[in-house]
Amino acid sequence: MESLSESTVNALALLFSGNAELWEIIGISFRVSFIAITVAVPPALMTAFALTYLHFPGRRLLISINSTLLSVPAVVVGLTLYILLSRQGPLGEWKLLFTQTAMVLGQIALSFPILAAMGHAALQGVDRRAWETARTLGAGPLRAFSTVIREARFGLMAALLAAFGRIIAEVGASMMLGGNILHYTRNIPTAIALETSKGEFSQGIALGIVLLVLAFTLNALLQNFQGRGHPVS
Amino acid sequence: MKIKRFCLISLILSVSFIAISGVHAEEYPKNIIRLATTTSTDNSGLLAALLPKFTEASGYEVHVIAVGTGKALRMGRDGDVDVVLVHARATEDKFVAEGYGEKRYGVMYNDFIIVGPKDDPAGIRSAKAVTQALDLIAQTQSLFVSRGDDSGTHKKEQYLWNKSETRPSKTWYREAGQGMGKVLQIAAELDAYTLTDRGTWLAYHNKSPLEIRFESDPLLYNPYGIIAVNPVRHPDTNHDGAMALIKWFISPDGQTMIGEFRIGKDQLFTPSADAGEFAAFSKAY
Amino acid sequence: MKDDILLTVRSVKKRFGRREVLREIELDLKSGHCLQLGGPNGAGKTTLLRILSGLERPDQGLIDCGDGRIAWKRIRRRLLEQTLYLHQQPYMFDGTVRYNLAYALPNRLSANEREERIKQAMDWAGLEPIRNTSAKELSGGERQRVSLARAWLRQPRMLMLDEPTANLDRESRRRTLNLLTSLKETGMSLVLASHDPLHLSTLIDRCLLLHEGRLVETEPFKIMPLSPSHLPSPMRFTA
Repeated sequence: MESLSESTVNALALLFSGNAELWEIIGISFRVSFIAITVAVPPALMTAFALTYLHFPGRRLLISINSTLLSVPAVVVGLTLYILLSRQGPLGEWKLLFTQTAMVLGQIALSFPILAAMGHAALQGVDRRAWETARTLGAGPLRAFSTVIREARFGLMAALLAAFGRIIAEVGASMMLGGNILHYTRNIPTAIALETSKGEFSQGIALGIVLLVLAFTLNALLQNFQGRGHPVS
Repeated sequence: MKIKRFCLISLILSVSFIAISGVHAEEYPKNIIRLATTTSTDNSGLLAALLPKFTEASGYEVHVIAVGTGKALRMGRDGDVDVVLVHARATEDKFVAEGYGEKRYGVMYNDFIIVGPKDDPAGIRSAKAVTQALDLIAQTQSLFVSRGDDSGTHKKEQYLWNKSETRPSKTWYREAGQGMGKVLQIAAELDAYTLTDRGTWLAYHNKSPLEIRFESDPLLYNPYGIIAVNPVRHPDTNHDGAMALIKWFISPDGQTMIGEFRIGKDQLFTPSADAGEFAAFSKAY
Repeated sequence: MKDDILLTVRSVKKRFGRREVLREIELDLKSGHCLQLGGPNGAGKTTLLRILSGLERPDQGLIDCGDGRIAWKRIRRRLLEQTLYLHQQPYMFDGTVRYNLAYALPNRLSANEREERIKQAMDWAGLEPIRNTSAKELSGGERQRVSLARAWLRQPRMLMLDEPTANLDRESRRRTLNLLTSLKETGMSLVLASHDPLHLSTLIDRCLLLHEGRLVETEPFKIMPLSPSHLPSPMRFTA
C-alpha cells in the first residue's frame, strides 16, 4: 500500500521533474481563471462604483441581490449555466458546454459578486471628499473615477486576490461546465477530484501543493494590502 | 485561575480521548456490509432492485459505494470496504494474486457498445469488428470521449485500442475523467463517439441524442466479478457478511433475479455464475 | 478692482428630507471680492457653498455664471470650471505633497512647465521641506497649506472656503490669512463660511448672515450673536 509519505515524495518528484501533464493542468487552471477575472473586473468595478456613488432606484435591491449571489454555492452557478448552455438549453446553439469558454463563464459568474461586493466596500472606504476634491480641482468624471480607484487600490487589490483565490480553487462549476477533459478543461481542482477517485494520490497531492502555495501567496499579499488600506481623515 | 483552566482543559482532553478510543474500540456494526462497486451497476438500478431482497433474506444491510473500478479495488486493498463487485478481469486477477482479495467469483456479464451521433460521421455502423470501428473513428478524426478515469470501462477501451491498428490522438480524443453517465452527456454535447456499458446506456438513452452505432462483438463482452477482501490482511472487515453477499449473488435465487432485471423491456445483465462454484461455496460456508 | 458680477443666484432652494435648509437664496458675487457667510452651525452655509461649487444640486432656483445657461448640467460644468471648493478638513490624495499639488495642474502643460509651477507653489506656501512627505501624514495646518497651494495652482475665479481656520492654531491661522490675502490679490473672489471671522477681518469686504434659509446683510466685522432671537428682522438682500 502506498503510504502518505511515499505519495508526497512522488508528488514532489512530479512537480520538480517538470511533468508535462501536471504542468499543463496547472497552466489551464491559471489561463482560465486569468481570463475570467480579466473579463469580470471592468463590469464589477463599474457596478461597485455605481453602488457607491449613484443613487438610482433599485440600488438597495441590487446590493441585496449581489450579497445573495455571494453565498450561492458554486455547484448552483454551475447547474444554472449548464442548463443554459446544454444542447437542450436556450444557448445550446453556441456549443459551449464542456469547453474552456464555459469554464470561463462559470468563473466570471462566481467572481463577479465577490469583486462587486468587496469593490463596493473598498470604494465606500474612500472618503467622498476624494471624488469631490478631484472634481473641484478640475478633473473630469473619468479622471475623478480613476483617482477614486487609485485611492481604493489596496482594497480593490484585496478584492481581486480574494476573487481569484476562489475561482482557481473551485471544483463544482469547473467540473460541471468543463467536463474535466484532459488537455482541454482539466484544471487543478477537477484533476485532484479525479485522481482521488482513481485512488492515485501522488498527482492529487502535487496539485494540492500548488494550490496551497498559491493560497499562501494570495493570503500573504492580501494581508499586506489590507494592512495598508487606511482612510486617514 | 490557572489551575482551574488547566483542570478544565485536561477534562476536555480526557473526555475527547475516551470518546475517540470508544469509537475505535467499537467495531463497524456486524449487520452492515460495505460494498464497493462500479458506477455501472449502481447507475443502472440493478443494486437498488436486488439488495433489498438480499437484506430481507439475510438480515444484512448493504452500504453501496459506487466509484470507478480503480478506486473500488483501492478501497478493497486498503480495507475500507468488505467486498468489491467490479468488471476488469485482468486487474481483478491481479488483486487476488497479490493477496488483497480471497477469490474472484463470476457473477454476470453485460456488454459494451459504441454510441455516437445520429449521422455517424465515421461510418462505423457497417464495421465488421470493434477494432475496425475504432480505426474508422481514428481515420476520420471523429471526436471520441474516453472515460479516462481508470474505471473498468476505461480499461476495456484501452484494451480495445491496443487491439486496433490506430492510436488515440490529442486532436480528436478527449479524456473526460468522469463517470459513465457524465461521459454520455459530454459525448452528446460534443457530437462525439464513446464506449459505454449497455446498462448505463439503457438508463440514459431516452435523454440522449446519441444512438447505438456499434454492438455485438465478442471483444465487447464485459464480465463482472465479486471478491471478498482478504480477512487475513484486514481482520476488522465484515468477512462473514461479505461471504453471505457473494453466496447470495451466485445462488440460483440471486442469479434468477439478475436475469429478470429489466430497464423497460431490455435485459441488462446475463447471469453467469458457475453452478459448480456455488456448490463448492455452499459446502464451505 | 473690477466691479463686474461673476455669479448671480436667484431663488435657490434646497431641502434635505423635510428640512428646508435653503429657502430663498439671492446673491450676487462681485469679481475680486471677499464675502463672509455667517450663521450658526447647521444654518446651511456648507450646503450653499457646495451648490455654488457645483458639487450639490439645488432643488430650485437660478444660478447664472454670466453666460445665461439654465440646464443644471451646463451650470454645474461652468461652476466646476470656475470655482474651487475647499473642504473644512481638506482631503489629501494618497501620495506625496508633490503628487497632491501636481493634481491641480491642467493637463496641457509640458513637463518643464509643471515642474516650474509646482516649485513656485511650494515656495509660495512654504511646502518645500515636506515636498516628499506622504500627504496623509500631514498636520492640519500643513494640509490647509497644501490645499491653498492647490488653489493657487488651479487659479479658479471663485474660491469657496468652508471654515478655513476652524481647527487651526494661531500660527497656522496667521499663515492661512497671509495666503488667502495673496490669493485675493490675484483677483480671485472668495466666499468664506465662518461663524468666527474676526481673525480674517482684514480680508472681508462684505458680510452676509444665513438665517432661516435666507441671506441677510449685516455689518462687517461685527461679532454675530449666535441666538437667532437677537437678530434684526430678516431683510432680503438684492443686488
